[in-house]
Formats: sequence, structure tokens, C-alpha cells
Amino acid sequence: MRRRAALALPAALLGGGCALQTEALRRTPPGGLAPQVELASTPFFAQTEYHCGPAALATVLGAAGLRVAPVQLADEVFLPARSGTLQLEMVAGARRHGAVATRLPARLEALLRELQAGHPVVVLQNLGLSWVPLWHYAVAVGYDLGEGTVLLRSGTTERAVMALRTFEHTWVRAGSWAFVALPPGRWPATADEAAVVEAAVGFERVAPRAAAVAYRTALERFPVNLSLLIGLGNTLYASGDKSGAADAFAAATRAHPDSAPAWINLATTLAELGQRDAARAAAQRAVAVAGTDWATQAAALQRELQPGR
Amino acid sequence: MKKTPRWTLRLVAACISFAGFVQGVQAVPLVSTEQVAASQGVPDAAAQRAQVEATLARADVAAALQERGVELAQVRSRVAALTDAEIAQLAHTLDTAPAGAADVIGVLVFIFVLLLVTDILGLTKVFPFTRSVR
Repeated sequence: MRRRAALALPAALLGGGCALQTEALRRTPPGGLAPQVELASTPFFAQTEYHCGPAALATVLGAAGLRVAPVQLADEVFLPARSGTLQLEMVAGARRHGAVATRLPARLEALLRELQAGHPVVVLQNLGLSWVPLWHYAVAVGYDLGEGTVLLRSGTTERAVMALRTFEHTWVRAGSWAFVALPPGRWPATADEAAVVEAAVGFERVAPRAAAVAYRTALERFPVNLSLLIGLGNTLYASGDKSGAADAFAAATRAHPDSAPAWINLATTLAELGQRDAARAAAQRAVAVAGTDWATQAAALQRELQPGR
Repeated sequence: MKKTPRWTLRLVAACISFAGFVQGVQAVPLVSTEQVAASQGVPDAAAQRAQVEATLARADVAAALQERGVELAQVRSRVAALTDAEIAQLAHTLDTAPAGAADVIGVLVFIFVLLLVTDILGLTKVFPFTRSVR
């Protein structure tokens, strides 16, 4: 009995509420938001039992020009023990097939704007109740503000029409979780800086060389982000372009003169390019700005670059 | 004890000296992007700890715990005692739950209330500080 009560408790806390975002969007549509969008050319893969995750993933990868069969994806992201697919694995699965997966802000408007930009959106829905969850992945491919509907590739239905307010309920109940998967070099219209960094760093993990283009394009949007600047340098370095890497690290030191990692990576790369004097100067700066986190590494680098070694 | 064959020793010696040689090429490796991103606020252990603590500080969570007869202070001290690795594990549980990374209350209440309560009833043994009523 107590166990039952404990289970019901979150429901009391999470339940209720009305489709506030839908109402606001329909009452006063935000500027620049098209009243109606449908990405009709988005492919469709009917799911088999419990395999909504792989089917949704194959759908967005296909839309991004990456043909992968859901069956293959199922082997990679489906967990038989949980009869489903974890969110993290959806994102990682997209990466493994060469797409950069970026989380969207948890706002319905962002989701609609992404559709307007031509990007189908993977969404997680809770079709059950908060205490009896029924998790489901689908791909949003369109909406109609006038009708108050959203269009989904969902389950075994190629063009599921769902009331926008119902969709909002099911989506918010699942944590307003959505992502877009695009080829490296293209970014979602609405993604914030943290999500872009997370996506690029994650992509570098599986594609240390190909990620350079992701960093380069992300920097067009967020030109002074330290992680992106270092990421560009590291990926160029990994692909053998050491002078390009040195340029990127130098740009990082200009934008962030207090960043020890930027100076450390610049010094190391310059040393490998044979520019010993410039490398020594950079190492000296690394030592000067290194806090406790980087002191050991900076000092080791300076020792390594001492004249006569 | 069996004597190690001489060729094995030679092979090991060769491997060790070769490893030393390779290391000499780049004495100080580049700082990885992930390390930099972590220092830039992409979730690390400290951030995950803060997230768990911030959730416990929420009035609705506190009320949920109180309703179950669980002292918030007890949960706090339990969280404070967790190592970074354990916090990471807890945060991982939050992350990998089928949903709710954004709104973790359901999962947290599940972890802290349901498991605590079942612990108190003696059904499971997850939290070492709970006493069984049986």
C-alpha cells in the first residue's frame, strides 16, 4: 500500500496543467513563424514492436541524406531488457552514422521554427500518464497553427495528425525533449550555445577529423566560444593540418588570453611545426595563466621546450 | 614456479623501450576538447552534484519526501556522503531513465522516496542509513 502511494506521488506533482504554449502560439503567433509547414519528402519507416526509436532515427537520418535501415539501428540503440531506446543512445546513434545531433530548447515554438527551417525533429512523447508512462519516439514533420495540429511520422502511421495541444501535453510530460540530426556543417536554427557545444564535442568523439567542419560552422554563430575554438584546433591537428591547428589555437588565445589549455595546445603545436621560440613564449604564457588545474601540464611543457633539449 | 622464457623477456623489454620512444615524440599531449568543455560548464561531477542538490532544495520535492515520512536532512547527508563517482552514477540514472532529463523530479522521487521507503520496509537494501521497521 505504501509502495502504491509512493508511485502515485510523482503523478500528483507532475499531473495537471493545460496546453499553455499551444494557446499562446495560436492566439498570438510569434513574428516570422509560418502558419503552416509540411516536410512532405521526409521518409517513413513503419516501426515494428517497441522499435519506435530506431524507426524515428532512421527517419531523420534519411532526411539528412544518410540512408540507414531501422533494423541496423535497432542493433545499435535498442535495449531488449528495457523494451526501448534511451535518449542518450538516440543522440549517440545519430552521431555514429555521421549526423550531428543537437538538442533543441524545451519550447514548442523552437520545435515549430525548426520545422519551418526544413529540419524534421525527433521528439519523445509520454503517451501514457505520468505515473504509468508509455514512452514513444516520433518525428515531427509539420504543423498547422490555424487547424491547431502537428504532423508526425509515428509508429505505423506515415502521416499522423495530432491536435497540437494534445501533442504539447504528451511532449511536456516527457520532458520537452527534442533533437535535430543534420550533416556536419549545418546547425538547427534555434539551438542555443550550450547545445551546439555539446553536439560538436559529442560528434568529435566519433569523428575526430570530420568534426572540423562542425566546429568551423558553429564558430560562425558563436565566434568566441572557447570549447569550439579548441575543438577546431584539435580536429585540424587530428587530421594532420598542424598549421591550421596552430591558427585556431592562436585565435583561442586571442579571444581567451587567460585560458591555459589554449596556450598549452598552441605551444605544443608550434613546437611540432619547428617554431621553437614561439612555442617557448606560448608555454611561458601557459605557465603564467595556469591555475591548479593545468599547472602540472604547463610546467611539463615548459621543461620540454627548454633550450638545449 | 615456471621460468619465464627468455624471448618473452626480450619482447617485453622491446615493448617498454618502444613505448618510451613513442612518448618522446609528444611529451605533453594536447588538452582534449572534452576537458575544455568540462571546464566551460558542460556537466561534470560538480555540476551533477549541484543539480541533485538543487532538486532536493525544491519545495515540491521536500514536500514529497516529508509526506513519505522521510527527513530531508537525512537525504541531504546521504547525498553529501556520495563520492563524485557515485554522484555521477546517480546523475547517470537520471539521464538514462527513459525520459525526464529536463524534469528530474519523477525520477528523483522514485529513487529517494520509493527506494527509501522500500528500504525502510526492509524490501531492498540500497541506502545504508535506513533502518528496517521489521
